[in-house]
Amino acid sequence: MEEKILEVQNLVAQFFMGKGMVRAVNDVSFDLFRGRSLGIVGESGSGKSAMALSLMRLITPPVGVVSGQGIFLEGKDVLSLSSKEMERIRGNRISMIFQEPMTSLNPIFTIGEQIQETIQLHQQVSTKEAKERCLDLLELVGIPAPQQRLKEYPHQISGGMRQRVMIAIALACGPSVLIADEPTTALDVTTQAQIMDLIQKLQAETQMGILLITHDLGVVAEVCDEVAVMYCGKIIEKSSVEAIFAAPQHPYTKALLDAIPPLMGGRVDHTRRLQAIEGVVPPLSNLPIGCNFYDRCPKATAACSGSEPSLEEIRPGHFVACFHPLQVQDAPKP
Amino acid sequence: MNAMNDSLHQSVTKKALLVLWTNKITRCCLVTLLGYAAVSLLCKMGWLVPNWNAEVGASHEAPNWVNWFGTDILGRSVFAKVIHGTEVAMSVGFVVAFLSILIGVLLGVLAGYFGGIVDECVVWLYTVIAAVPTMILLMVIAFMLGKGMKSIYVALIVAEWTETCRLVRSEVMRHKTRDYVQAAAAIGANNFRKLFVHILPNVMPLIVFQFSLVFQTSIKYEVILSYLGLGVQNKPSWGIMISDAKTELLRGVWWELFFATMAMFLLVLVFNILADALRDALDPKLKGR
Repeated sequence: MEEKILEVQNLVAQFFMGKGMVRAVNDVSFDLFRGRSLGIVGESGSGKSAMALSLMRLITPPVGVVSGQGIFLEGKDVLSLSSKEMERIRGNRISMIFQEPMTSLNPIFTIGEQIQETIQLHQQVSTKEAKERCLDLLELVGIPAPQQRLKEYPHQISGGMRQRVMIAIALACGPSVLIADEPTTALDVTTQAQIMDLIQKLQAETQMGILLITHDLGVVAEVCDEVAVMYCGKIIEKSSVEAIFAAPQHPYTKALLDAIPPLMGGRVDHTRRLQAIEGVVPPLSNLPIGCNFYDRCPKATAACSGSEPSLEEIRPGHFVACFHPLQVQDAPKP
Repeated sequence: MNAMNDSLHQSVTKKALLVLWTNKITRCCLVTLLGYAAVSLLCKMGWLVPNWNAEVGASHEAPNWVNWFGTDILGRSVFAKVIHGTEVAMSVGFVVAFLSILIGVLLGVLAGYFGGIVDECVVWLYTVIAAVPTMILLMVIAFMLGKGMKSIYVALIVAEWTETCRLVRSEVMRHKTRDYVQAAAAIGANNFRKLFVHILPNVMPLIVFQFSLVFQTSIKYEVILSYLGLGVQNKPSWGIMISDAKTELLRGVWWELFFATMAMFLLVLVFNILADALRDALDPKLKGR
C-alpha cells in the first residue's frame, strides 16, 4: 500500500475583495502519495495557484483566508498549526517552485547565500557545512562549475539556471512534498524539457510527492501519474493520466484536450481549425447557480442550471462532476 | 582575467569600497571627507587650534603669511574659526543624518510592510509635519527649546525624517509584493526576516543616498539657523561667520565670507559625489562596469 503524504480535505481559500469575499478555491479534496505526482490543470483564473499558496498557508489576512477540514501533511494537520510551527514546515517538509524564476530570487544576494539561508533556517549546521551542502545541491540540479556559480548574482545567470537554483532551494531540506507552480511557463521549450526531466529524476531519487500545477497538458501527460482538472476553483474531473487522455468524461476536459494543436507529420489535413472553448470563465464573484460550466457546455440541459453536480466516482479511480459525463465511445478518434 | 574574476566575487561592501578607492575622483573625495572628519575630531579633543578666541592680530587683517585666512573684527584668526566651524558642521551633519534616517527608515519600513492602522498613523504624522514649511518649523522648535546645539539637533531631526520615511515606505510597499518575498515566505522566513533580511537590503542604496542628502541639507540649515541667530552659541560656526560678513562686505572684507562658504561648498560637493558613486557601487547589477 502506498503511503499518503498529503491529504487535502475540503480546502477553501477566500480572498477579500472590497466588501465581499471571493472563493478562489472551493471545496477541493485530493490525496498525494509518496513518489507520485499529481497534475493540476485548468485555465488562467481557475484557482490553481491560489490552491498551491493555500497549501503552504501563504494566504493570510488581509489578503484572504484558508479554511477546510484539513490539510494533512505526513499525518499532521497543517491548518491547525500556529504560524511559528508553520514557518518550520515551509521550505522544510513542503516547498514550492514558483513560475517566475526571473523575479523569485532576491537580486542582491548571491545564489549561494540564498540556498544557504534555507538550509540554515531549518537545520543547525555550521556555515562551512551549509556551503558544502550548497555545492552538492547545485551539482544535483545540474549546474556546471558550482563553485563559481555559488558566488554569482541572480542577474548573472540565465532563466533556466535560475529555475534550477529555485529547485535547489526547494530541495535544500529534503521535503516530502514539492509544489511546482507552472515551473516551466517562463522558460523556452528546450529548457522546459530539461527542467521537467530534472524534476522527474529528482523525484525518482528522493521519492517525494509532486504537485505539478500547469496549463500545459503535454507536460502533464509526460510527468504525472494522476490529473485533476480545475474549473472556477473546483476539481471537476480527477483520474489517472491514461484515463483522462483516452476518455475524458467532463465536457470541459474534452474541450481542453481539443484545444491542443495536433502534431502531425504532414499527412493529415492541416486546414482543420483549432477548437477553442466558447465563452469566458465566469467571474468568481458572480458564479452562476448550478454547474459553473453551464454557459459554455455543449451538453447542457435544464438540470445543469438548476443544481450543481458533485464529484462522483463513475469508474474505479475516475471522478467527475457532471450530470452528463461523456461515454467512452465519445473519446476522440486518433 | 583571474584578478577580474576575483573582484567579481567579493562581497558587496568590500567591492563598493574598492570601487570608491580605485576611481581617482572618488578617492580624492574620500580623502577630503576623511580630512574633514579628522579636523573635527582633533578639534573636539582640543588638539587643533585650541584657543580660537585669542587675538592674533589687528582687526580685519587681509589674508597674509601669518594669518592665512585673515582676521575678523576682533582680530581673531578666521582660519581657527573655520576649523572650529567644521566641528559644528560635521557633528550636526552626522547626528542629524544618522538619527533622522534611523527614525525615518524604522517608521517607513513598519508602515510600508504592515499597512493598515500602523500605516495610517505614520502617514498622518509625516503629512502633518511636512505640511509646515521647514524653515518655520525649524524656527519654532529652536525658539521653544532655546539656543544651542541640542535644539538644532532636535529641530533638524523633526524636520528631516519625513522625506526618508515617505521614500522608504513606498519602496517597501513596492518590494513586499515582489515574488522573491513570497519565495522567502515559502522557505519559512518570518515577518522579521522577510522585512530586515530580504527587503531592507534592497532599499539600502536609497537609504545611503538619502543619508547624504540629509547630511548636507542639515549642514546648510545649521548655517541658516546660525545666520538668523538661532543656532550655536559661544562657538564659531560657518553660519555665524557668513552672518557677520554681511556688514563687513561693504567695507571690502571678503575673506570671512569666502572661506566659510568654501569650506561648506567643498564638504557638500565631496559628499554629493561620494553618495552618487556609492549608490552605483552598491547595486550588484552595475558590477563589472
